[in-house]
Amino acid sequence: MRISIPKVKMYLLAALCCLLGTNIGVNVAHAEGSASYNYSFWNDTTPAPAAYEATFLLNGAQLGVGPFKNPSDIHVTADKEIYVLDSGNNRIVILDQHFKPVKVVDSFDREGKKDTFNNPQGIFVTDRKELFIADTGNKRVVHLDSNLRMAGVLEAPKSDLLQANFDFQPVRVVVDKAQRIYVMSTGVFDGFMEFNADGAFTSFIGANRVTVDPVELFWKKMSTQAQRSRMVMFTPTEFTNLDMDDEGFIYATSGDYSNNPIKKLNAQGNDILRRTGYLSLVGDIRYSSDIGPSRLIDIDVTDSEMYSVLDSKRGRVFTYSGDGHLMYIFGGLGNQLGQFNTPAAIERVGDDFLVLDKAFGEITVFQTTAYGRMLNEAVRSYYRGDEEKAFDLYQQAINTNANLEFAYSGVGKALLRKGDYKGAMQYFKESYDYANYSKAYLLYRKQVLREYFPAVMTGLIVLAVVLLFFKKLRKRMRRQGGVTIES
Amino acid sequence: MNREHVKYPLYLIVHPFNAYSDLKYERNKRHTLIASLIILFLMIITNVLSNQYSGFLVNLSNPDDMNSLMEVVYIVVPVLFWCLANWSLTTLMDGEGKFVEIFTSTCFALVPMMIINFPWIWLSNVISLQETAFYYFCSSAAYLWSAYLLFVGNMTVHQYSPSKTIGTILLTIVAMGFMAFICLLFFGLIQQMISFVHVIYQEIMLRN
Repeated sequence: MRISIPKVKMYLLAALCCLLGTNIGVNVAHAEGSASYNYSFWNDTTPAPAAYEATFLLNGAQLGVGPFKNPSDIHVTADKEIYVLDSGNNRIVILDQHFKPVKVVDSFDREGKKDTFNNPQGIFVTDRKELFIADTGNKRVVHLDSNLRMAGVLEAPKSDLLQANFDFQPVRVVVDKAQRIYVMSTGVFDGFMEFNADGAFTSFIGANRVTVDPVELFWKKMSTQAQRSRMVMFTPTEFTNLDMDDEGFIYATSGDYSNNPIKKLNAQGNDILRRTGYLSLVGDIRYSSDIGPSRLIDIDVTDSEMYSVLDSKRGRVFTYSGDGHLMYIFGGLGNQLGQFNTPAAIERVGDDFLVLDKAFGEITVFQTTAYGRMLNEAVRSYYRGDEEKAFDLYQQAINTNANLEFAYSGVGKALLRKGDYKGAMQYFKESYDYANYSKAYLLYRKQVLREYFPAVMTGLIVLAVVLLFFKKLRKRMRRQGGVTIES
Repeated sequence: MNREHVKYPLYLIVHPFNAYSDLKYERNKRHTLIASLIILFLMIITNVLSNQYSGFLVNLSNPDDMNSLMEVVYIVVPVLFWCLANWSLTTLMDGEGKFVEIFTSTCFALVPMMIINFPWIWLSNVISLQETAFYYFCSSAAYLWSAYLLFVGNMTVHQYSPSKTIGTILLTIVAMGFMAFICLLFFGLIQQMISFVHVIYQEIMLRN
């Protein structure tokens, strides 16, 4: 056998490659693709049945309104009318609940004259069918009444709170029941801009807190004034999107993975999101370091405090219950049905999901599977306080997906209410619900003690009396004996 | 005689100064060595038991990661590292202790940490979340007690002043860090060498 020099080199190279291979840990979170998953209490990925499945695609050509061009937002009203904001074509396409086009709005009536949009980015429709459009290119927010005539316009506000060179670039807008308008504007770090019903700017709300890297702070402390002025400033992260629930709370997402990217803001701008689940509310918990953590770019709130967020990096939709439990995950990036290229917005139509793909100009419609319906209903029943039904549904959910830890907790709570403390303990143990386990355990302990306390106590007293009696008897015997000995 | 063997560790944890000087000057080296090995063994056993049978509310470790053999390693390796590092340092720093004395004094210092497991493995099963404070209090008290015994043991065995003992203990911890680093390096290199040979073997076998 003759081994030439290049061959030796090849061996060496192969050996080196293998050495490298042994060192690089292979712990990619889970198989890419459509396989559905969830996360366990220990932050491991666990397989889960699919809760949603993509059923069909909608695009402009198929709807007969001409292809969408870079659509950036959708909004669905309570009566399931769908408003698609077709930014590239500067128009709004309105669909009914069966996804049939009803109307196309490409211009509106402004005091008798025709006016158009310029690259609008955000849309919101109130219960009274009034439209608010963040008309980004024209640096204004347009308010149309239900007849699509202009009812008002918000332009760059003048205020002491704003800098002189303030650039108003509204990209998202929501309106609460009192007609207060909240605008998300690019380049604004102070939170959302709040306008009152008359369209006057009132204040900023809900600014993200600045997170400071200690190392960076150290260097900043060490450097001179001149150096410091050229460094990157510590600024709070911008929000990426917002939505409003039925009670008027703003749900917002921001791009900062490490600092609570999902927030629920009350009227004062405080974060009141409940984080009582097992996981931090950040989208994917495990991720490969080359792509990095999830970047949440849209949020949709539905009834019963359930909310869903969209991760633009992997195209996945995460749905959480109001208590912060991760219910299900679906979607992904790719070319198949149910995967996206550049997901931009999500909305719920009833229990169906619409995911808007910006580059393809398509909307993917997701519908629930039996498992998804079961989970949605279980969370709803529990939220309503219908424990019986929640108990049944959670029980079914466990039968379908034994890894669903929060469902065990749901069953446990129902059992606790019924007075089956021991069973409740078992279920709380399965769901790692320490607080409720402790509650059930205390009740169980009390029950057991109540049951056995009389018997144990009686036994003890009887024993004490008998002992005392014996002691006395012995004493007397001894005394008598002593007497006999003495006498 | 037998009774005395059981009593001595219990006497030691409450009268460390007297007991440690007994250990150094009076007692039979063979017997103390056997006793300290038994203590180490019991420590391992109680730790495994506490991992497996502690109450749900205080047992926060993932059952999937539970490995009894690793529990042995987690206890034996730090003790050996401590003894080796301490011995290496104190021979240079005029310590009077022999290696056996360092080892036995260290093992005897573990007694409170071992004893505390006995009641609490049972008791942790009958407490609520509010009562876990007692559990954590007791185990931290045991840890502190052990640390104190370790300090006294070291001081007596080497006949050091208290300040010198503290200095040696700090240096020992640094030395343990160095040892851990060197061990990692060593095993890393060995692993690389083995895989290299293995790959060459595979390559040659598959070529033919």
